[in-house]
Amino acid sequence: MRILPSFVFALTLIAGMTVVAAPAAAQSSPIKIGAILPLTGSGASYGVWMKGGAEMAAEEINASGGIAGHKLEVIYEDHAADASKAVNAMQRLVEVEKVPFSMTSYSSPTLAIQPIAAQHKVVIMNGGGQSDSLANKPYLYNNIPVVSNEVGVIATYLAKDKKLLSAVMIVANDEAGRNSAETFRDKFGAAGGKVLAEERVALDATDFRAQLAKLKARGGDLLYISSYGRNVSIIADQARELGITIPMAGTSWVLVPETFKSKGAEGMMVTKLPFDPDSAFAKKFKDRYKTNAGFFAVQYYSATMIFAKAAAEAMKKNGGVLTGEGVKNAIESIGTFDTLSGKLVFQANHGAVMDIEVGTLKDGKVQVEKVIKAAP
Amino acid sequence: MDLFLQLAATGLVVGSLYILCALGWGLIYGTTLHFHVAHGAVFTLAAYYAYAAQKLLGLPLAVAVAGAIVAAAFSGMLIDLLIYQPLERRGAIRTTLFIASLGLLTLIENVLAIIFKPDPLRMDVGWLGDSVQLGPVFLIRLHLVSVATAVVGFFALMAFLKYSRWGQAIRAVSSSPEMARTVGIDLRRVHLLTYAVGSAISAPAGILLAMDVGVEPYRGTTFVLLASVAVIMGGIGSIPGAALGALFLALLENIGVWKIPSEWQSTISFGAFLIFIVVRPRGLFGRKIHSAEI
Repeated sequence: MRILPSFVFALTLIAGMTVVAAPAAAQSSPIKIGAILPLTGSGASYGVWMKGGAEMAAEEINASGGIAGHKLEVIYEDHAADASKAVNAMQRLVEVEKVPFSMTSYSSPTLAIQPIAAQHKVVIMNGGGQSDSLANKPYLYNNIPVVSNEVGVIATYLAKDKKLLSAVMIVANDEAGRNSAETFRDKFGAAGGKVLAEERVALDATDFRAQLAKLKARGGDLLYISSYGRNVSIIADQARELGITIPMAGTSWVLVPETFKSKGAEGMMVTKLPFDPDSAFAKKFKDRYKTNAGFFAVQYYSATMIFAKAAAEAMKKNGGVLTGEGVKNAIESIGTFDTLSGKLVFQANHGAVMDIEVGTLKDGKVQVEKVIKAAP
Repeated sequence: MDLFLQLAATGLVVGSLYILCALGWGLIYGTTLHFHVAHGAVFTLAAYYAYAAQKLLGLPLAVAVAGAIVAAAFSGMLIDLLIYQPLERRGAIRTTLFIASLGLLTLIENVLAIIFKPDPLRMDVGWLGDSVQLGPVFLIRLHLVSVATAVVGFFALMAFLKYSRWGQAIRAVSSSPEMARTVGIDLRRVHLLTYAVGSAISAPAGILLAMDVGVEPYRGTTFVLLASVAVIMGGIGSIPGAALGALFLALLENIGVWKIPSEWQSTISFGAFLIFIVVRPRGLFGRKIHSAEI
């Protein structure tokens, strides 16, 4: 039983660390908020954008005097696309850091933490996940449209404008991937198209050849990629390697730096949410983080700004006291926020609407062909 | 039929990596009876050595690969020298060795994740990444290199064990450690040699993975699990058995997708393993489980 003493020692160490970690919440003057993001794993590229956007917003807020005189501090947590890690992070933010608000991202992690948010009356704002099931949840606000809007646009574009009427799909086997695939099946069907086959793959996989070979054998006019993060570029490259020559398509989910660099993804048809790569924000981001900004950088910049405005309002109403409930009421009463991507109006279902662009990937950029305006 | 051929070819390519991994693990297990799961860490380390040599030191691909294989061989020897031999000297039982090995695997994986981040890293392969078409089958050149490496690795290992003095010593220890000791073979030195050879033969699998789809810190666990399954299916102590077991698993995993949805991939292979091992506990070519033979 030589293992036992070291086991006891390890336990003591762990217990010791917990005790040391606890007093961190004691410093009270700054306003602390959370941000649970994909900082590692297949979506780490989104994480760079999201964290960068939030960081830039927090610095601007602090440079102009903070929120009602309080400094804003963002605590970043990593969910690595894993719902259980998101839950741990949320528990820590709620119990240790006592935040009134947290940004969140991805559909499965956001759905997993929403009950904790509602129970503790902490507002969570999702600027990245797009599953339809994220709508109508207490204390969860989405400053991004749900995926069915975008999928509807691309499905109609493919069937009506491009006359591509039969599709095969490769689907990330998680909440977001499956949801987007189902929506595509419906909307593509409604536009006169037909999905011939679908193959599900793990989000963290790196070899998709068997699945792609199977889809290739089914034929079809088009390969629809219902996945996101770095594996989109691997799927695109491996598809071309296997001699799959039909066009590929996806939503704004596929637009990560790896995809822009991938040879296989050239010509992919995509939807895109409004983001101007030549804006002052994008330039500042590039100077600071040495990488091109993306749509999600703006999203988390906006989410932080929305919080700042709502928090100031909440504190004014409640005599300087900031609570999650106060933030929620302020978001509801303000309703419309000015953001870098134009006016953002929260809908009754706690989601947002935006313009959606459609185009083709070419030379590392999306060449926009048309813009579908947000419903009035 | 085209699909079947494509899936079989993909299976063969994946199988080459499984074979290399299983050959190394099987040689080590058959000779030392160490359930060396840290072999997975050596496999991953080899990939990171090669990646670091090419991307961080800027060495040419061939030099990076050769250097990584040598470094992996030394890593395997170090594990035996610093972990297993001291444990054995103090009379540790095999389970303790296995737990130590598991601990080491976890440790190395986590350190790699801290240094290199958990995202997959891919080496530059230049023209090896170009497509080749063989009838209805599409591959890239690198895949042909993988298959060739597995074939060469297999025959080189067989020849080494059969014809070289050191190889014969390994076989002697593998078939009967007591007898080998009586005739004056130094068991510790043979173990060290086995770790060097076993690590060197599996290292290319990790490196080829880094060249093809990229290496991640935790990838070794999957590979060592598959390698141990392949070795047990093939019969402990049998080198051809290990290779056949590995090839069978890879083909099953890929061809299985032909008629069954692909999320069943690993369920199929491990299901088949369970059925196989219940029906034939000694594996394909294994004679006795305990005193293994090569």
